[in-house]
Amino acid sequence: MPGPYPGRVVSVRSDRCVDVSTGAANDDVVREMIARGMRTLTGADTTAAAWRRFFDPSDVVGIKVNCGGYPYVVSAYEIVAEVVRQLTSAGVPLSQIYLYERFQNQLDEVNYAPHLPDGVRIVAAEHANRNVDNSGYDPATYLEADFFGEDDTRSNMMRLVSERLTKIINIPNVKDHGATGVTGCLKNIAYGSFSNVARTHQRGKSHTYSAVGTLAAMEPLRSRTVLQIMDGLRGVWHGGPFARTKRYVFYPRRILFGTDPVAIDRLLLDVIDEKRRAEGAISIWDRSSASLKVDDSRARDADPNVNIIIREPGHVEYASTLGLGVYDLARMTVQDVTV
Amino acid sequence: MTRLLLAVLSLPCVYWTQGLESRPQLEAAGIKQLCVAPDRAAAWRAAGFSVSPIPDAELASREALPAPGVTARAGLASPTRAPWIVANGWRFTRAPGARYVYDVPAGKAALAAAEAFAYGADAILKIDPSDLKDLGTMLAFLEALPAADLPSLADLAVVDDGSAVTGEVMNLLARRNLLFDAVKTPSPRYRINVAVGTRDYPVEDAADPSAFALKIRRQLTDEQRTLRVYGSEVVLCRLTGDPSRIRLHLLNYGGRDIEGLRIRLRGAYKEDGAYVAGAGRLPLQDFAVADGATEFSLPKIGTYAVVDLRR
Repeated sequence: MPGPYPGRVVSVRSDRCVDVSTGAANDDVVREMIARGMRTLTGADTTAAAWRRFFDPSDVVGIKVNCGGYPYVVSAYEIVAEVVRQLTSAGVPLSQIYLYERFQNQLDEVNYAPHLPDGVRIVAAEHANRNVDNSGYDPATYLEADFFGEDDTRSNMMRLVSERLTKIINIPNVKDHGATGVTGCLKNIAYGSFSNVARTHQRGKSHTYSAVGTLAAMEPLRSRTVLQIMDGLRGVWHGGPFARTKRYVFYPRRILFGTDPVAIDRLLLDVIDEKRRAEGAISIWDRSSASLKVDDSRARDADPNVNIIIREPGHVEYASTLGLGVYDLARMTVQDVTV
Repeated sequence: MTRLLLAVLSLPCVYWTQGLESRPQLEAAGIKQLCVAPDRAAAWRAAGFSVSPIPDAELASREALPAPGVTARAGLASPTRAPWIVANGWRFTRAPGARYVYDVPAGKAALAAAEAFAYGADAILKIDPSDLKDLGTMLAFLEALPAADLPSLADLAVVDDGSAVTGEVMNLLARRNLLFDAVKTPSPRYRINVAVGTRDYPVEDAADPSAFALKIRRQLTDEQRTLRVYGSEVVLCRLTGDPSRIRLHLLNYGGRDIEGLRIRLRGAYKEDGAYVAGAGRLPLQDFAVADGATEFSLPKIGTYAVVDLRR
């Protein structure tokens, strides 16, 4: 990261990709959106050629999905399945494709297997978020930082990332986040590839401003994450990263493509904030004590004008200072495509 | 690191109030040693058990210990999300020569036995009979461990004035795996001597023992700590050693198996054996010596494990 296309984002929109009355996605339209997005991003003449710009048969490819917004806003089956199909078309064997998340129980809930060909490996580092499974993490690759005086000051990279994968495709969602403002490319790849990260935000305060980018910038995660495909078929504008209720679900009906996570997340900040403004909710940039009800997630879920932590949407700009991408809209190139 | 008092590790004794009809259950659990009321001693001896008669007065004179484990403390503010741990290691460190008694509910006997053993405490266990099997398994494990009567190692001293406040400071230091020695007067052996009520350690600061322990941790610095534990906040350790070897006792208070617990010890060591209750001898994983420290991962830990290392 930021890869060969710093500051460049291709935004593919289709009114037909999701039936907003049912939430169901249209496979064919999604497939076309991905094909157009990849060709536009790379300038390749064919979809296959576009994928071959990133992947060859020797690669071991990880697909970092996001399952935290189950049941309404997770990395879409249709997108994940099409990505797998394109990887196999590029010659990557199914046995060298890994779908991954940190927690097995979240993968079990979402259950990608019926949507994928046999042979794709679906793996997690931990059974659940209980801080008892460390074997899936690399003891030699970690961030050591003391945020709140916690005893366990390390966040370790998944072994899968540090020891097995050669390339990673990041498929985050369009989501609000109570601690980071939004959870997009940076948060999904960083907090989804390291252990013990929830310690960065608690009791109203968030250290995610620096932690997200710092983790995303760690090698080999940084250099192996070669493609960002933000799933904006559906989104959640409040209560994120969770989406246990439809109340805050919306339908941007687009997919963003790029190699620069900062640039895509820069757009995401505006997508979420504009939606919140349209709904009469406080901005993700709001830091007022009047909006803050520390640890009161019930109040947060009931009222979009409640924060439980002071959000840190500035984490996106901070990540740009680490060289992860372009934050300045004036230096970005956004190409809109309609399908 | 400084060596402290020699601790003699011995098995805690089960205080048994049931009659001889319970003999098959005891034998099935492999428990051969009992503490009983004096008027029952002869009968149990005749039944083939090793028996220590314990009068009621002695039982009552022993310091009663809370059941070890994690507990929810609703409504109590804490600077971290770490669960509240009830552990007695700090009590044993504070008063190593005292005599103790546990009266623990079902599910806690094995942890209590391991805890007492790890600190070489003179402890009697009153247990729920449903724990016999687990306790017997733990006692057999403890008995089979290679002998290692080694002194405790510590990074700092706490000047013990006997107060409850100082006791709570010790509790929170142990909770953070900050290795301390309890001393009567400041000791030149330690760079840090914590005396509650002095200018450096005002008693009002100790009113928040968690913050107080954090302040001491900051003074010591994480880099200078002899022991660090990564991958769990519910495993508390006791470190013992001499110039040729060390033994690390690990107690898991969380009630769930933990995989891949990472340990960092200052100094360069070689592996000499890791013994995990319920799993036996296991190889340490990802063993590394670098930057003046030794690191390794314990494949798993249920309730208790011991790691032996040598120079």
